[in-house]
Amino acid sequence: MLGPMRIARLACAGLALVACNRPPGCSGDFCGTLVFVSAGEPETLLPPVLQAAVARDVSDQVFLKLADLGPSTNTIGDTDFRPDLAERWEWRDSLTLVFHLDPRARWQDGQPVTASDVAFTFAAYTDPQVNSPYRTALRWITGVTAADSLTAVFHFQRRYPEMFYDAIYQMRVLPGHLLRDVPTDQWRSAAFGRAPVGDGPYRFRSWRAGESLELVADSTFFLGRPAIRRLIWRFTPDLQVAVTQLVAGEADALEVLVTPDNVKRVQATPRLATYPYRGSAYAYLGFNLTAPGNAGTPHPLFGDRDVRRALAMAVDRTRLVQSVFGNYASVPPGPMSQLWWIWDPAIRELPYDTLQAARLLAARGWGTRDRDGIRNRGGVPFRFRVLVPTTSGVRRQYARLLQDEFHRIGVDMEIDEVEFSVFSERAAAGQFDALIQTWNTDPSPSSGINQEWTTAGIGRSNFLHYSSATFDRLVEEATATFDRDNARRAWRAAIEEVNMDAPAIFLFATQNVAAVDRRVANVTVRPDSWWASVHSWRIPPDQLIARDRVER
Amino acid sequence: MALWLVRRIAASAAIVVAVVTTMFLLLHLAPGVPFLPGVETPMDPAVVARLRAEFGLDQPLPVQYAKYVAALARGNFGESFALHRPVADALADAIPNTLVLAGTALLLDLVLGLALGVYQAVRTHRLPDIALGYGTLFLGSVPTFWLGLLSLLVFGEGLHWFPIGGVVDPVLYPTLPLGARIVDRLWHLTLPALTLGCVGAASTARYERAAVLEVLAQDYIRTARAKGLPERLVILRHALRNAVLPLVTLFGLSLPFLLTGAVLVESVFAWPGMGKLAADAIFRRDYPVVLAATLGATVMVVLGNLVADLLYAVVDPRIRVHRA
Repeated sequence: MLGPMRIARLACAGLALVACNRPPGCSGDFCGTLVFVSAGEPETLLPPVLQAAVARDVSDQVFLKLADLGPSTNTIGDTDFRPDLAERWEWRDSLTLVFHLDPRARWQDGQPVTASDVAFTFAAYTDPQVNSPYRTALRWITGVTAADSLTAVFHFQRRYPEMFYDAIYQMRVLPGHLLRDVPTDQWRSAAFGRAPVGDGPYRFRSWRAGESLELVADSTFFLGRPAIRRLIWRFTPDLQVAVTQLVAGEADALEVLVTPDNVKRVQATPRLATYPYRGSAYAYLGFNLTAPGNAGTPHPLFGDRDVRRALAMAVDRTRLVQSVFGNYASVPPGPMSQLWWIWDPAIRELPYDTLQAARLLAARGWGTRDRDGIRNRGGVPFRFRVLVPTTSGVRRQYARLLQDEFHRIGVDMEIDEVEFSVFSERAAAGQFDALIQTWNTDPSPSSGINQEWTTAGIGRSNFLHYSSATFDRLVEEATATFDRDNARRAWRAAIEEVNMDAPAIFLFATQNVAAVDRRVANVTVRPDSWWASVHSWRIPPDQLIARDRVER
Repeated sequence: MALWLVRRIAASAAIVVAVVTTMFLLLHLAPGVPFLPGVETPMDPAVVARLRAEFGLDQPLPVQYAKYVAALARGNFGESFALHRPVADALADAIPNTLVLAGTALLLDLVLGLALGVYQAVRTHRLPDIALGYGTLFLGSVPTFWLGLLSLLVFGEGLHWFPIGGVVDPVLYPTLPLGARIVDRLWHLTLPALTLGCVGAASTARYERAAVLEVLAQDYIRTARAKGLPERLVILRHALRNAVLPLVTLFGLSLPFLLTGAVLVESVFAWPGMGKLAADAIFRRDYPVVLAATLGATVMVVLGNLVADLLYAVVDPRIRVHRA
């Protein structure tokens, strides 16, 4: 029988034989093969209907936006944005934004990129038949017209600070001449989504379902030829296998290592460098303010503001973050990710004060303790259940730590671990006492806060049914403020209001860490779009390894 | 025989219909919702409602079932909720991978199991038999995903003998000539096939050892030995032929094991087969894919058992199909 060693040797010999007959391979400044490993696979590469993070990563290389967010991630006004497909823009009046396209821009089939492509793209993103998840982001734009072949005009319904952000952030411009004939109700499964033609720095080359996807540099890209020739995403269903592939040298980059153990494993590998960056996720223990399944009745425990405040004061969030993440997360000063420009550790929060928490509970009638140390009121123990998805090891870990924290002040929290699909269903239906929720945010605080925390978000993503007229008014003021400093102050007031109401305990905001092979130079990782700057990365000629030189 | 075959095929078809119907009902009655966002970003309920209407999920269950069966009768498996492509296309990508993996594992299972079983039987109660007995007991007891992870860590990350997952090398494969492509595929196949095959072979060896021991105690074996036949011929020509019968049973029994075991092994080794497709689809409540994968697995198992029944008649002249 052939032993594994012998098989491996035979395989290596076979591959080596092939390698011997090869030409010497690529050399110089424009070689390089970068293998990204991803714990997921795109569902499609057609931008209006894609959702997976890896799909966004790939489409960022193939399609351009009119302009893009700058390093500050400031979403107000248009000063912190950089040109992309549009070489410049101006405001014709307060409701009309004019983009001038770069005349050098070409689709990868050679056709010029025109303003009618931009108008077509807007029509597609807002078409109910296409059913793009990004349609609501464009709701204040009444239309996009082509003034001439290189001038696209955006017309807004109202004036607000994030007009420019809404116009450019979600839309990647599409080739109208290739998509016009695709029926709009068939865009989800359009063949174009599995073999796209874009205008970005990389061209699509191949996609082996469940295995890998390859892009190749467009040497004629009008903003400059990318230095790395091939980009390959290899898909793996499991994060641990992904990290193992990275450590073993079978991949070059992974965008989020997730756990401190993985970070340590990568840091122990001399070939790899780590890149910390601001995370886009925050998590909280949310209290259902209404009775489970009955939104008209207050929750018997969490309908009481003082009870919620007491629980919030009973949790040592700093210790929990240290225990789970080490230095790779922070306690958020409210419902926000580190990605948001309104992040401010000085925002007022409820303190960690178990004595005050106990006093508050006693004042609300929860003073007596039974033999197990659990508080009760009128013979009813202070007991609730928390919903946690089985897919998140971090949240399961947090549930156990919180259980311990609450037990210390005489509150019994039982844990319901359910699969993610069931978690989502029960969260949306309000069938829970409390839940540990994570939200991934885009760079704008406005859309996230509105959907998840204002009264208008009830029935959408405000699963807790938190409703405060004061908070709603403060959020409205903040989203309508044009001056960035004033807006920051307005946001601070709004966040402090929600902190004092304590509809949730804000547990952690991630600080992500990416890993990239050290032979790659100029590496920057954008917090909201991890690999968006890959076209400016390079591998110096003296650092090329065998896979960089492979000719295809 | 022909009538028996017709009846057997009809019964098999009924089993397939029953399994698909049960799975359809279970899927729709189970808690959980399809159309989850890829990452936890807020989803616009209007977008979800439109998707539900587009896929007919807003209709009564009997109507959905009738439409599903009607489409299935036309060979249409529908469109995946999550993959944004026809289910038939996803299956066409996944089935060959599963057949290659499960086929190789089955071959390993039967050949290795048979060889080990016979070897143990002829050395019964001696050190090799005892050692292999414990070895096969261990291998038969460990979960396949654990063995898979261990082999990845040892032979992949530690020793670098084999690649860590995948079907081919994504960098080199497109540039390789045909012969090297085959070598590359075999190289990637080795660890997952060994993981799946060895666990099966451990059980097969235990069955086979018992079968050979039983046969070796028969009178005709004593006669063969009394004739002065060399022991090798006694084992290979006389004992093995009868001892191979349990393998036919095991072949039928192994198929479901291989297909379910493949779910875990495919996930560990990033092997894009039916198992991984079905597992992902279950978590995402991608009903059309789950149903199609169930249908595919059921058909394979039913066919496997049908083939096993036919093989009985071929390998054992004592077994004949009688008219009812």
